[in-house]
Amino acid sequence: MITSLTPTRRSLLAGAATLPLAAPMIWMRRAAAAQQLVVRTPGGVFDDVKKQTVYDPFRAATGIEIVPVAATAAKLLAMFQAGQADIDVIDSGDDVILQLERAGALEPMPYKEFTYTDPADIDPGVRRQYQVGSFVYAFVLGFNTTAYPVGKEPQSWAEFWDIRKFPGPRTLADMASGAPNLEFALLADGVPMDKIYPVDIDRAFKSLSRVKPAVPKFWDTGALSAQMLADKEVVLGALWSTRVQVAAAGGASVAAQWNQNEILAQAYGLTKGSRNLAAAVKFIDYSLSPDVQGRWLRAYKAIPVNQKAYAQAPAELIDPATHLPWTKSKGFRQDIEWWAENRTKVSDAWSKWLAQ
Amino acid sequence: MLMLPAFAMLAFVFVLPLAWFFTQALFAEGGIQQIASVIASRAVLQAILATNWISLLVTACVLLAGYPIAYYLANRRGLRFTLVVFCIIVPYFTSIIVRTYSWMVLLGRAGVINRLLQSAGLIEAPLPLLYNKLGIVIGMTYVLLPYMVLTLFATMKSIDRNLLLAASGLGAGGFAVFWRVYLPLSRHGILSGALIVFILSIGFFITPALMGGPSDVMVAMLIERSVEITLDWKSAAVMSLFLLAVTLVLYAVYYRITDLRRLMGA
Repeated sequence: MITSLTPTRRSLLAGAATLPLAAPMIWMRRAAAAQQLVVRTPGGVFDDVKKQTVYDPFRAATGIEIVPVAATAAKLLAMFQAGQADIDVIDSGDDVILQLERAGALEPMPYKEFTYTDPADIDPGVRRQYQVGSFVYAFVLGFNTTAYPVGKEPQSWAEFWDIRKFPGPRTLADMASGAPNLEFALLADGVPMDKIYPVDIDRAFKSLSRVKPAVPKFWDTGALSAQMLADKEVVLGALWSTRVQVAAAGGASVAAQWNQNEILAQAYGLTKGSRNLAAAVKFIDYSLSPDVQGRWLRAYKAIPVNQKAYAQAPAELIDPATHLPWTKSKGFRQDIEWWAENRTKVSDAWSKWLAQ
Repeated sequence: MLMLPAFAMLAFVFVLPLAWFFTQALFAEGGIQQIASVIASRAVLQAILATNWISLLVTACVLLAGYPIAYYLANRRGLRFTLVVFCIIVPYFTSIIVRTYSWMVLLGRAGVINRLLQSAGLIEAPLPLLYNKLGIVIGMTYVLLPYMVLTLFATMKSIDRNLLLAASGLGAGGFAVFWRVYLPLSRHGILSGALIVFILSIGFFITPALMGGPSDVMVAMLIERSVEITLDWKSAAVMSLFLLAVTLVLYAVYYRITDLRRLMGA
C-alpha cells in the first residue's frame, strides 16, 4: 500500500492533532481542512454549475468542503489497484460506476442513513445496491432547426435511418464515447423498444451499415457532437439531451426529439476504504433532496432522480401530455449490465465494421 | 559522473514504471495469447498501416512546407526574421486542442474556406476537407511544422555561404547551386527533421481523433479506447510496445545521423 509508506495529507493531519499546543494556528487550519471531501467529477461546466447550486450551499449547511478532482475510469481503477483511497465519492456515468463495482472498489450505498432524502422518492431505475443515480438524461434524436424545422424532423430512429426521406449528414456515437448506438440501430430495424436487450450485435451492425454512408463522423466527446450539430456539419444526430438543451439555451439552432430516447444516468459511488464515509453519505443524501435537485438541475438541463423534484424540472424536459419527464413517457433504459458484459466484444466488432 | 543523478532520475521515473507496466500487462496469465490475438487482429493491423501511411504523408507535407520557410529564415535578419519566427513559435505554445478546433472551423462543411469558395462561385457543393485523411494531414502538418522548421534552420545556418559563391563562380546557375550544393548540404537537417516529425506522428491522438473520418483510426486511438473504455490494459500494452519499438528504432537512426554527443558538446 502506497498510502502506508508515504505520509499523506491526512496522516500528517493526525500527527498535527496530537500537538495542538505546539502549533495552535496550524492545528486550527488543518482541523478545518479535515472537513474536506474529495469527489471525482467530470469537471468543466459541470463543476461550475454544481459548485453554485450544491457544493457551496452544502458547505454552508454542514461545514464540509467539496474538493472536485478529475480522474478517468482507468485512473480510478489504477488508483484502487494501487490501494489508494484518496477519492471519497465518485460522481460519474452509471456504467463507469458499475465497472468499479465489479472490480470490488465500492462500498454499498447505505440508504438507511439518508436524512435529507427519502430513499423511496428516488427513481427505482437508478436506486441500486452499490450506486445511486444523481440525475437522468438521455440519448435523443437531435436536429438542426434550420435544416428541419420543429415538427418536420424524423419522428423515430427508423425515420432517422431513412437517408432518402430525411437527407443530410448525421452523426452517431463512436465506440470511443463508451457505447455506440446499437440500440437505435435495432429500433430502426424494427425491433420493439422492450425487446432490445440482449442486443443482437450482428443485426445491429448490419443496420448501422445502412446509415453509415450519411455519417461523415462518429462523435467521441459530447462537446464535439453539439458543435457539429450547431455548426451544421451534420443536420441530425444521436446526442446527449443535456448537450442539445444547453446548446439550445445558448442560442444554437438545435432541438431534441424525445421519441424512443435511451435513458442514461449520472451516479454516485462510495470508494471502499474512504475515511470520510459518513460525510460522503451526507453529501450524496443532501444532493438528492428535492430542492437541491431542482436548483441544480434547472441550470444543468437534466432530469432529477428524486421524483418529488419533477415539479421543479425545466419545462422542456417534461412531456406536456403526461406531466412526467420525457424519459418516463417515451424512453427505454440503457442496460448497463449488458454493456459491462459485452463492451469488449462490441469494441472488437466496431473496429472490424469500420475496417470493412 | 555529474550526469549520474539525471540518469538515475530518468531510470526511476520513466524506465522503471514502463518496465513494470509491460511486465504486469504481458506476463500475467494468458499474456502470450493476448499478444498473439492483438497482433493477429485485422483492426490493429489496419490501424498500424494507417498510422504509418498518415505519418509518411504528414512528414512529406511538413518537409515541403517547412523547407522554404526555413530557407527564408536562414537568409533573413531583423524585423522580417523576427516576424516569421514569431508566427512559427507562438502556435507551438498554444494548446493543441485549440489549434485543432480552429482548423475545424476553417475546414468544415459550413466553414470559412468552403463559404469563401462557394460565394466566389468556384464550387457548388462544399468540398470534403474535414473528417477524412485530408483533414488529418492538414491538421497534423500544421501542428508539426515548427519541429521541421527549427531543425532545418539550425542546419541551414551552419552552411558555409562561400561554397555557394564558389559554385556560382564556377558557372553553376541558380537552380544548379541549390540542387547540387545547398540541398545536399542541408540533408542532415532534412533527415533529422523528417525523423522527428515521423516519430511524433505515429503517436498522434487528438488531431486524428477530432479531424479524421470513421475509418481513419490510428494506433494511439485504439490504445486510448483499450485503456479508457474497455479497460483492456493488456491489449493497450501490446500496442504501446509496438509504438515504442518503432520509436526506438527510428530514434537510433536519428542518433546516428545527428551525433547527439557532438551536439551536447561532450
